[in-house]
Amino acid sequence: MASKQKIQIAYLDYVLSEGKRPASVFAFAKKHKFAEEEFYQHFASFDAIEADVWASLFITTIAEVKAQEIWSQYSSREKALSFFYSFFELLKSKRSFVSYSIGNFKKGLQTPVQLQESKSVFADFSDELIKEGLESGELAERKFLSDRYQDALWFQLIFVLNFWLKDHSAGFEKTDEAIEKGVNLSFDLFQQGPLDSILSYGKFVFQNVMK
Amino acid sequence: MAKEQQHIPASKVARSAKFVGTGIKIGGNYIKHYSKKLFNPDLSKEELNEDNATDIYESLSQLKGSALKVAQMLSMDKNILPKAYVDKFSMSQYNAPPLSGPLIVQTFKKHFGKSPEQIYDKFNLKSSNAASIGQVHQAELKEEKLAVKIQYPGVGSSISSDLKMVKPFAFRLLGMSEAELAVYMKEVEERLLEETDYELELRSSMKISEACKDIPNLVFPKYYPELSGPRVITMSWLNGLHLKEFLATEPSQETRNQIGQALWDFYNFQQHELRAVHADPHPGNFLITPEGKLGIIDFGCIKSLPDSFYYPFFATTSSDLMDNKEKTIKAFRQLEMILPKDNEAQVEFYYQTYREMISLFAQPYAKGSFDFSKNGYFDQLYAFGEKLAKMPEFKQARGVKHFIYVNRTNFGLYSILHELGAQVRTDTYKPHLKTDY
Repeated sequence: MASKQKIQIAYLDYVLSEGKRPASVFAFAKKHKFAEEEFYQHFASFDAIEADVWASLFITTIAEVKAQEIWSQYSSREKALSFFYSFFELLKSKRSFVSYSIGNFKKGLQTPVQLQESKSVFADFSDELIKEGLESGELAERKFLSDRYQDALWFQLIFVLNFWLKDHSAGFEKTDEAIEKGVNLSFDLFQQGPLDSILSYGKFVFQNVMK
Repeated sequence: MAKEQQHIPASKVARSAKFVGTGIKIGGNYIKHYSKKLFNPDLSKEELNEDNATDIYESLSQLKGSALKVAQMLSMDKNILPKAYVDKFSMSQYNAPPLSGPLIVQTFKKHFGKSPEQIYDKFNLKSSNAASIGQVHQAELKEEKLAVKIQYPGVGSSISSDLKMVKPFAFRLLGMSEAELAVYMKEVEERLLEETDYELELRSSMKISEACKDIPNLVFPKYYPELSGPRVITMSWLNGLHLKEFLATEPSQETRNQIGQALWDFYNFQQHELRAVHADPHPGNFLITPEGKLGIIDFGCIKSLPDSFYYPFFATTSSDLMDNKEKTIKAFRQLEMILPKDNEAQVEFYYQTYREMISLFAQPYAKGSFDFSKNGYFDQLYAFGEKLAKMPEFKQARGVKHFIYVNRTNFGLYSILHELGAQVRTDTYKPHLKTDY
C-alpha cells in the first residue's frame, strides 16, 4: 500500500532527476509497484502533487513565523515582511522543485493550477494581517480598494518568486532587497497617504464649491 | 528635524531620477535667487547656498549606502564646500531610514542560524542610530551592554553604480576635471568596498585598538568575534556624547584639550607608528565619555601608507628639506605633484604653490604645540583652498592617489580639533624621516 507521502517523494525524485513528468500515472505506478487507483486515492493528477508541495511550503512558513516570540509585537507590515523572508528562506531547500514546477505553469493571467490551493492559504493569512492593520489604523480603509490589498500582496509574492529564480547574488541578497523595498512600498500604498487627502478634498470641493 | 523617510528609491533608475530631481531643483533655486536679486541687489549668496544644500541633502538622505558615504565625505571637506552645504551634510551623518525588524531577524538567521533573541539576552529591534552602511542596535548578554552593527543588504553591489551616479554631481559641485575624478574615484571605490567587508573591519578594529591601548585618554569597545560575521559586528556599548552634543554641554578648556590631545595622539601614532590610519575622522565615529575620554567606535575605513608615499611626504612636512629646492622638487616628483611632462615654467609654478601649501599644512607640526581654536589658521587654509580651486592649473589631476585619504584624514582631524577649540602638543608622535627614498 503506497502512502500519500511515499507517492509524493517518488514523484519529486522522478521529476527532479529526469527533468520531466512520468509518461502517465499508469507508468509511474507500475515503476513503483502500486496500483494506479492507489494514486487516485490521494491525488487527482500530477499537478495535484505539486499543488500539495506548494501548499505545504506556505503552511509551514505561516506556522513558523507565527511561532516566533516577537510575532505579537509586529505590525502588519512587519508580519508581512517576516512571512516573505521566512518563505524564501524555506524555498532555498526546494529551489530545484520550485524552478521545475514554475517551468510547468500555464502562462496567462489565471493562477496556475499548482498554486491554487496555496493562494487560498496565503489569502487567509494576508486577510488576517490586513484586517488587523485596518483595525489598528495602520492601514487605510478604502471602499472596494481595501478588499484588494491581499491581491496586491499575492502579486508581490509572485513577483519576488520570479525575481528569486533569476537572482545570482551571494546568499540571495538581492532578493532580500527586493522584499524589503517591495513590501514596504505596498504597505506605504496601503497607508493613509496624499491620495486619500486629494480624494477627500476633491469630494469636499465638489459638494461645497461646485454646486 | 530631518523629514521622515517614506521609502528608499529602489533601482538605479529610481536613484538616478533622484539626482536629476536635485539638479532641476538647484536650477530652480538659482532662478529664485536671481529673480529675488532683481528686486533686492543686496541679497547674499548665503541664502542660495542654503537652499541648494537643503535640496541636495534631502535627495541624498533618501539614498543609502555609498551615496550617503559620499555625502559624508563631502561634508568632511569644509575647505571645499561653503558653510551651508556643510551644515546640511553633517546631518546626514546621523540620519538614515531604518531596516525593518524582520530583515534584521533574517540577517541573523542567515549567518548564525538563530534569531537575535536566541543569541542575546536582550535585543532591541529598533535601531539606536545609523552607521551609513548599516545601523546600530542595543543588546545585552550576561549583564553586559552591547552595540550590534548590522549592514544593509546589497550595499557592496550598489557601490559602483552609486559612484557612477555621484560622478557628474561631484564634477559640478567640486569643479574637478574628468581625469582627476577617474584616478580618485577608483581609490574611493576600493576604500568603500573595504568598508562593506565587516570581517575585515573586525580584524582591523581589534588590531588597531590593541596597538593604541597605551595612548592616554582613549577608550575602545571590546569586540566579540564569535558574535560577528560578514554582516554583523558585536562590540561592547560605549556611553558618551557625540561631538556636537558634547560641545553643547560647554566643557572646560582643560577637558577640550584632553580630548583634542587624545585625538591628535591617536591619529599621529597610527600614521607614524602603524603606517595605517583610521581614515574616516567624521564626528559620528567618536564618542566623548562622561569621564572625558575619547571613544572610537568605527574602523571601517583604514588607509595604509606605503613607504613610497610616506617618506617623501613627511620629509617635506617635517624636515628642513624644503630649504633645499632641488631635493624638494625631487620629493614632489616622487609624489606626482610635479609630472615628467611639465616644462620649466610649470615646474617652478607647482614647486612654489605646493611649497606654500605644505608649509601651511605643516604649521601645527612646526612648534611643539598648536592652538587649533584660532580662526586665523583655518581662514588661511580655506582661502588657500579656494585660491587653488580657481586656478586653471589645478583642473588637472595632480598628486598620487594616496593624497585623498591622507588629506581627508588630516583635514578631518584639524577641523574636529578646531571645532573642539583644543590646544594640543604636536610633538608626541613624530614622523620618521628618511632622506634616501
